[in-house]
Amino acid sequence: MPRFGIGQPLTRKEDLRLLTGRGRYVDDLSFPNQARAEFLRSPHAHARIVQIDVEKAKSASGVCAVYVSADIANAGLGGLPVWFMPENAPPGYAPEFPLLAQDVVRYVGESLAMIVAESAEQAARALDLIEVKYESLPTSVGLEEATSDGAPELWPGKAPFNVAFLWQGGDMSAVVTALRQAAHLVEIDVINNRVAIAAIECRAAIGVHDAIKSRSTLYTTSQMPHPLRADLAAIFNESEDQFRVVIGDVGGGFGSKNSMYGEQALVIWAARMLDRPIKWVGERSDAFITDFHGRDNVTHGELALDQDGNFLGMLVDVTANLGAYISGRGAMSPVLNQPALAGTYRTPAIHVRVRGMFTNTVPTDVYRGAGRPEAIYLLERLIDKAADELNIDRVELRRRNMIPADAFPYETPLGLTYDGGLFERNLDEGLRRMDWDGMVSRRAEARARGRRRGIGLANYVERCGHGITQDAQIKVAADGGVTVLIGTMSSGQGHETAYAQISAELLGVQPSQVKVIQGDTDLVAQGKGTGGSWSIPVGGAAMSKAADAIIDKGKEIASHLLEASSADIEFSGGYFTVAGTDHAMDWSSVAASAYDPTLLPEGMTPGLEGTGEFVPSNHTFPNGCHLCEVELDPKTGSLDIVRYLVVHDFGVVLNPLLLEGQVHGGVAQGLGQAVFERTYYDNAGQFHTSSFLDYNIPRADEIPSIEFISNPTPCPANPLGFKGCGEAGAAGAPPAVVNAVVDALKEFGVKHIDMPLTPERIWRTINNAATKQDFP
Amino acid sequence: MEYKAPSSIDEAVMLLAQANGKAHVLAGGTDLLVQIRAGFTKPTLVVDVKNILELRTISVADDGVCIGAAVTGAELGEHDAVKAAWPGLVEATELIGSTQIQGRASLGGNLCNASPAADTVPALVAASAICLIAGPNGQREAPVEQIVTGPGQTSLKNSEFVVQFQLPKKLPRSADAYLRFIPRTEMDIAVVGAGVNLTLDKKGICQQARVALGAVAPTVLLVEAGAKALIGSTLDDAALDKLRAAASAACNPIDDKRGTVEFRVDVAGVLAKRAVLIAKQRAEMN
Ligand SMILES: Cc1cc2nc3c(=O)[nH]c(=O)nc-3n(C[C@H](O)[C@H](O)[C@H](O)COP(=O)(O)OP(=O)(O)OC[C@H]3O[C@@H](n4cnc5c(N)ncnc54)[C@H](O)[C@@H]3O)c2cc1C
Repeated sequence: MPRFGIGQPLTRKEDLRLLTGRGRYVDDLSFPNQARAEFLRSPHAHARIVQIDVEKAKSASGVCAVYVSADIANAGLGGLPVWFMPENAPPGYAPEFPLLAQDVVRYVGESLAMIVAESAEQAARALDLIEVKYESLPTSVGLEEATSDGAPELWPGKAPFNVAFLWQGGDMSAVVTALRQAAHLVEIDVINNRVAIAAIECRAAIGVHDAIKSRSTLYTTSQMPHPLRADLAAIFNESEDQFRVVIGDVGGGFGSKNSMYGEQALVIWAARMLDRPIKWVGERSDAFITDFHGRDNVTHGELALDQDGNFLGMLVDVTANLGAYISGRGAMSPVLNQPALAGTYRTPAIHVRVRGMFTNTVPTDVYRGAGRPEAIYLLERLIDKAADELNIDRVELRRRNMIPADAFPYETPLGLTYDGGLFERNLDEGLRRMDWDGMVSRRAEARARGRRRGIGLANYVERCGHGITQDAQIKVAADGGVTVLIGTMSSGQGHETAYAQISAELLGVQPSQVKVIQGDTDLVAQGKGTGGSWSIPVGGAAMSKAADAIIDKGKEIASHLLEASSADIEFSGGYFTVAGTDHAMDWSSVAASAYDPTLLPEGMTPGLEGTGEFVPSNHTFPNGCHLCEVELDPKTGSLDIVRYLVVHDFGVVLNPLLLEGQVHGGVAQGLGQAVFERTYYDNAGQFHTSSFLDYNIPRADEIPSIEFISNPTPCPANPLGFKGCGEAGAAGAPPAVVNAVVDALKEFGVKHIDMPLTPERIWRTINNAATKQDFP
Repeated sequence: MEYKAPSSIDEAVMLLAQANGKAHVLAGGTDLLVQIRAGFTKPTLVVDVKNILELRTISVADDGVCIGAAVTGAELGEHDAVKAAWPGLVEATELIGSTQIQGRASLGGNLCNASPAADTVPALVAASAICLIAGPNGQREAPVEQIVTGPGQTSLKNSEFVVQFQLPKKLPRSADAYLRFIPRTEMDIAVVGAGVNLTLDKKGICQQARVALGAVAPTVLLVEAGAKALIGSTLDDAALDKLRAAASAACNPIDDKRGTVEFRVDVAGVLAKRAVLIAKQRAEMN
């Protein structure tokens, strides 16, 4: 095996650049003669725009132009494209999501006007001079409000009762039959709280137009350059080749930079109008109210069990908050990933109904896991509740219902075919390493100090990669250097390292010989961007096909020069060898020969490159068990996360450093949602948690060191055996920590507590549940 | 905006007195510079007091300790004598911000910024600290609890500033303690702060007590009823419960996204009680 091939803990190639401040983000770019844009955001959650007067703003110093919705409507620009709406129900309603609000604003932060000025300060100052007359309209902010009788409607006549769509999956009659046979029915209501996604690099965009070539270039921060180009083409009603999208380093995305935002089209439009580059860089305060949020579901779940605790059927009813409009991929999370509800258990019948709701809030979109964490949270909370009500040990209840190792391929009632996994072993390893049985004494010891301890676990199965095709192009230069062109897009995951390592494995080169080109639609032919943990499984598999083409051609060249039959040439470790002999050519001489027509077989085109496309035949199924131990102060509600363990099956591990880094981040975000991150809209739709003082992103000292146990199984659907690890952490963490806290609060009679588990929430839950007596 | 860095008290007083428009004293700047940047205040003159010796000196004498108003948290945290005599005040100071902030933040700034949640103020009040104040009419003294009159407001007159804090002579078997509650583990604004200073006699009976609470009212509260509950007792459970109730009863907090009234009121009692137990343990040891 080459030293830097698959499985090696190669340190990140991009880190020297990123950690020494030499990354290139959007704000690092500037163009000669550029002007700056700022946007006027609605201060109201729901209001009619009676009048906008921009005259004063237009004549303010430094201002080049002010645009409102009428200006762009006259130019025929469309709204933001919606990439997904569920199909199986009567058609839902996806309203036009205008780049600038037309007659009505529907959430605080919605853009109303764009100002372009010589400097950002001048543009910001002129914002205050735009006079808008609003007539306020009644609001529906939270899900409870939006679904209540007589709730104000956002889209009267179009989306009655604020319902954007209804969708259902699974077999209802099978579930009804199961319910009839059940000895027990356990119910739970959970809130999957809304989060601000809060990537460290705020959104930003620069539009540059070349009037001679009639082509526009967008420099922006995005996880999906090619889909973004398609969106631009749709909005401008032009062909894709009139646009180029260029993405540099991306400071995090987590789903918030998958879909398009109005600013990205408007900087191009203004660049065309004014014939100069237009730059916009968002502020953090803007980001909190204008970046698409994540999660926000209210879910009711029912689990039917027989006398012995076998799961018979599950009924799930999800109400999903889509916000005021449907964002590009906003309907995906609550619909596409509901199959995760099956988890690691053999529940024979599952039915899920989803109601997508409009509310006067910023739209939600995909967020790390995109529906899988929500489903797994419901399932694993429901199982703990069932164990409690049936008085069966929660580990035993899970064990009893676990899909056994010999059951694969296993078809779930929501249409997935699992191809492998050692679910019970994940659990056993976790219990052993956490010393689950030793909890009795740890609980007593904490109690003696006036504290309470709890432990919890959650099993999960994810699914990645199916339905995505990705191609990769690998070019080998005459000096043997390798360039990988690929349409995935790193937002911090370390693709440069990962793809270099895959190249090292496949082609026997050094990682330092590999360049990775991503994020430029003029250079990379096709791409889906990065999301859904698919880049390494799908991108890697595409690379392996591209590498095969290169190796095949290399063999022909070597066979010609070594005067052997090409069938006798073996390629390994960077050498083309005539089998059974010591006649060989190394990588760089084959690469050099490939560019010298005199050395090539007759009729062979010079050059050495390959393109491969991978169309997955099935999903991959990363799976694992998360365990969490907590300690809390019952008098103040303060929570310490004491230990955290992940037992995982990600198939073949490409690079344990990258992988653990992905899982660390995922767990931290999962714990963030579950414990720290509280978004708060008041009844009038004002967003109050719009700075990092009030919106608590987890910090290093609040997350324990995360322990890992690897328990891999093969991944038949992927040629390199990778399953994908980008999102799993965020899926396991919320139920693991909430189960641990409910365990710690058991003595107070607590059956459930909603996220986020802030001290006050824990304090209040204890005080509401406990007998009025004081406790030690 | 003009910036001056005088090296004497008189010069500073003169600069402040002659200023036209808004003038601000600058110590560490960890409040002031943030406020200027955010546009909350737009002074025409800033008088940096960090070059004035009296404001940068810690002196320990038989009759007590004097701490310059611009002494930084880091300096105080490394001062063994002050740490030994007033561990509660030092722990309150060291809670401010992070290592970087500690290199700048001062007691004078923490007090005069007049945030209801300022961490050192309950500890200063519990310790019966007196401010030495300089102004155009010479110097005067005032107890710490008389300085802040409301959020962002002080009783300092124009061109007055705090020179130093005087802490009384430390009695045997006495000690202070400070606890705060924040939703996070560090770098956050107090939802409740509780400072306590106790003196015990040889039998462990509480002779003197001061209890002060932060972040539960517009200004820091000196809870007389709490002290009364403790004095004369051995700090037994009954006395502690009375103290807890008195502390909760004294609170008049705001209801906001950082903490509701019920929560702040209850936790104030919990923290006051815990702070007493820490101070008691310390007092028994010295
Ligand atoms: C990241 C961060 C974290 C923080 N964490 C905490 C915390 O945990 N707890 C907490 O209590 N505070 C905290 N603060 C607030 C701040 O650091 C403290 O209040 C600090 O003590 C202020 O001291 P300073 O010397 O920096 O004051 P400055 O900013 O210099 O001054 C503050 C105010 O007091 C006035 N002033 C300063 N000195 C005098 C004087 N001698 N006489 C009269 N007026 C004076 C100034 O004019 C100004 O109005 C934090 C601040 C930051 C930026």
